[in-house]
Amino acid sequence: MSPSPAIEVRDLSKRFGDVEAVRGVSFTVKEGEIFGFLGPNGAGKTTTIKMLCTLLAPTSGSLRLAGFDVTKSPEDVRRSIGVIFQDPSLDDRLTAEENLMLHAVVYGVPRAERRARLDEALAFVDLSDRKKDLVRTFSGGMKRRLEIARGLVHRPRVLFLDEPTTGLDPQTRNATWEVLRDLRDRNGMTLFLTTHYMDEAENCDRIAVIDHGRIVAEDSPEALKRAVGKDVVFVRTNEPAALCAVLAERYGLTPDRTEEGLCFRVEDGEAFVVRLVSEARVAVTGIAVRRPTLDDVFLALTGRQIRNGNSEAGRDAMRAMARRR
Amino acid sequence: MRAEVVYHLARRDVVKFLRDRQNLVATLVRPLLWVLAVGFGLRRAVGTGATGVDFVSFLVPGVATMAVLFSSMFSAISIVWDREFGFLKELLVAPVPRATLVLAKMISASVTALIEVSVVLLVAPLLGARIDPLGALLAIPVLVAFGMSVSALGITVASRMKTFEGFGGIVNFLIQPVFFFSGALYPLDGLPPALAVVVRLNPMSYAVDATRGLCVGVHHFPIPLDVGIVLATLALLGTLAVRSFSRMQA
Repeated sequence: MSPSPAIEVRDLSKRFGDVEAVRGVSFTVKEGEIFGFLGPNGAGKTTTIKMLCTLLAPTSGSLRLAGFDVTKSPEDVRRSIGVIFQDPSLDDRLTAEENLMLHAVVYGVPRAERRARLDEALAFVDLSDRKKDLVRTFSGGMKRRLEIARGLVHRPRVLFLDEPTTGLDPQTRNATWEVLRDLRDRNGMTLFLTTHYMDEAENCDRIAVIDHGRIVAEDSPEALKRAVGKDVVFVRTNEPAALCAVLAERYGLTPDRTEEGLCFRVEDGEAFVVRLVSEARVAVTGIAVRRPTLDDVFLALTGRQIRNGNSEAGRDAMRAMARRR
Repeated sequence: MRAEVVYHLARRDVVKFLRDRQNLVATLVRPLLWVLAVGFGLRRAVGTGATGVDFVSFLVPGVATMAVLFSSMFSAISIVWDREFGFLKELLVAPVPRATLVLAKMISASVTALIEVSVVLLVAPLLGARIDPLGALLAIPVLVAFGMSVSALGITVASRMKTFEGFGGIVNFLIQPVFFFSGALYPLDGLPPALAVVVRLNPMSYAVDATRGLCVGVHHFPIPLDVGIVLATLALLGTLAVRSFSRMQA
């Protein structure tokens, strides 16, 4: 008998008054998979995660987690999951160790194992030397790591991460991802994460692209990019007009002039570039071939771009305001 | 419900209470100020009055009950605090019944209140109050039950409030009449009829009456009646707190 899937969601919907935040979402996550929910802010990512974590009751649809029905046996579900929320959820007036110990007790980790689990989790995120310090003295990245450590103390089958690296600097973001991949590789843990960063979504085994409460595509990052098809090619030259003419006459392409050179899309970019250089008789000074990114995927699927930098800054500012109120 | 979980959750609040030194000192000194200022200020004017005991001795059990009222009510603000700083989500997603979280909060509230009460009851004899030590020990379970019911009321309010200001507003609105119409500051004999009715409707009156009866031997109602009403209030407000807290969403 094959084990039950880590997560099984059928026709899940959630209404808030007149607003339909999630509209008939279905997907399955296998044991040991890294599954990503990719979409812009307000697409329904956090609402879905809250329903999976038993914090919100769905309007309709079925949710099974580690074989348990989420609405019928929420306590079994809670014991099987770890949650790392979008906003910090540590008690910053307790020490790192106290935060983890409370978690271990609440999640029923046997007394004899607690010490070892705590030390292991702290070592895993490289915070062993700070365990006696109050969390309020920690940096944002350290708090994030401590939350990951806390999520591991009870060895959940499924770890939920809502925007795990939002607000972290690139270095910390990479370090966090190393920790997460390590978790899956070493312990076979299932990870479910939401993100609005394209580059982050590439770390997943499978991705569901969500927009306006619906899944618009679901596949591996590679397959999604393949579906969008053509590679993007940039060619630099000192004679752009001549090269433009060649590209138009010989290959029927209409390149865009960009700062990185002439840009156009073709199937199998590398092979095309080899042909172009041998056939074109125009001096080429530089070539770059880029596979389509998830940015391109999202654009192709929804006709809109996910704006990474600016919208995030705006939202963080809004959150800060909301907190002050 | 696992007792160990209740213990660790309650411990968290008590540890934080003891760790915040400035707040701790202010909290412990405040009831003593009442004894000093009101007790000694009015002693000459009031004398032994109708009660037959010295006014400072009469006042101390009232001030002790007052300390429990204020401390237990405001300890529920930690729920609003936890919501504001995100920790509430960690608690709500934990695999424990909501009633466990409520019980832990009620216990930590009464323990912190008890720390204050102990200081009042230990220092009061040095100020000349005549407190029966055995009676004071017997009064402690009554004050614990009263503290738990007050914190249950605080939890009920906190479950519905999203901001500190909202919580503070409602709680101050509740706490002032409960305190002033309780007999903490004056004897209940010979009150104007309207005031007597209000005082009889106020559960705190019975907590004060039992504490005073046990500590200094002066009481208005039979002590078993006092204790019964304190316990009934605890059952009622405790149930209300569990229901409000369980309905709350993160």
